[in-house]
Amino acid sequence: MLEPFFQWMESVGVYSASPLIGPIVNLIHLLCMVTFIGALLIVDLRLMGAGLTGRPVREIARDAQPWLVGGFLGLVLTGIPALMSTATLQYPNRIFWFKMYLLAAACIFTMTVRRGMTQTDEVQGALPKLVGLLSIVAWLGVAASARLIMLL
Amino acid sequence: MLPFREAFEWLDANLPGTLYLRDAQYGFTVLLTLHVVSMCLFFGLIIMMDLRLVGVANLGTRPAEIQQRLFPWQMFGFGLVCISGGLLFWSDPLRYQGKLYFWIKMGLMGLSGLNAMAIHFITHGSEAAWDSKAARVAGTVSLVLWAGVLVTGRLVAYEWLTYE
Repeated sequence: MLEPFFQWMESVGVYSASPLIGPIVNLIHLLCMVTFIGALLIVDLRLMGAGLTGRPVREIARDAQPWLVGGFLGLVLTGIPALMSTATLQYPNRIFWFKMYLLAAACIFTMTVRRGMTQTDEVQGALPKLVGLLSIVAWLGVAASARLIMLL
Repeated sequence: MLPFREAFEWLDANLPGTLYLRDAQYGFTVLLTLHVVSMCLFFGLIIMMDLRLVGVANLGTRPAEIQQRLFPWQMFGFGLVCISGGLLFWSDPLRYQGKLYFWIKMGLMGLSGLNAMAIHFITHGSEAAWDSKAARVAGTVSLVLWAGVLVTGRLVAYEWLTYE
């Protein structure tokens, strides 16, 4: 159904001006990724009862928020041209779609369940640990499946 | 052209399991993916610590506390990065010997290690030293060096600056 759209994306030729654009966009994507994951981990570890346990969850999450959002925006802005440049290869690739569905699920989870969990000062019990762990697994899963798109 | 060619030829011929790793159907795929994921763990937390050191993020937490509490997790990530990266190298030593970016990456990692020692000595034994100009400079240097490690590591995959 979306195939014409993917064909159109590739026909734009976003990287056609120079062979350096692709690698540069990819490198920025990776630097945004590690920033995003860092801002994610510092909060998720705290939810799991590790890392910065001396401070309220809410404050750690508030401090990390600009880097989480900034990293994510950078990922989207660089991810779109990366997708457009090879759209007809991505379209039939199952791992690409797996990544997109996992990404959508991780976004919804982060903006609902995890967001609610990080607005308290102190967390107790198994539920916050589970939320932190799920968040780490989901987002590292997005990173892993992204790497696997062109390998599998 | 690049150094240690003969030593790497010897490694290529004599490391046990090299051929097995290289020829395993999903060997490279699994190792590279593990390398990327563990890099996220390691470098992500290094960034969070360095940004605090520089004075731009996580300002509500004392830098000494960030360093102390994140250190075990950074080392956990570092261990995974080293194992997966070491096995990638093990699987094909000659390939990496011929890559200039591989050597630059190794050099930048060495400098990062020295810089980490500098941070240790700058901040050692004094809470106030964490907020010194020297600590901010070392934090900035750490960010730049580790970003350089990531960038040159990724560039190894391209055919640029590759020699026989």
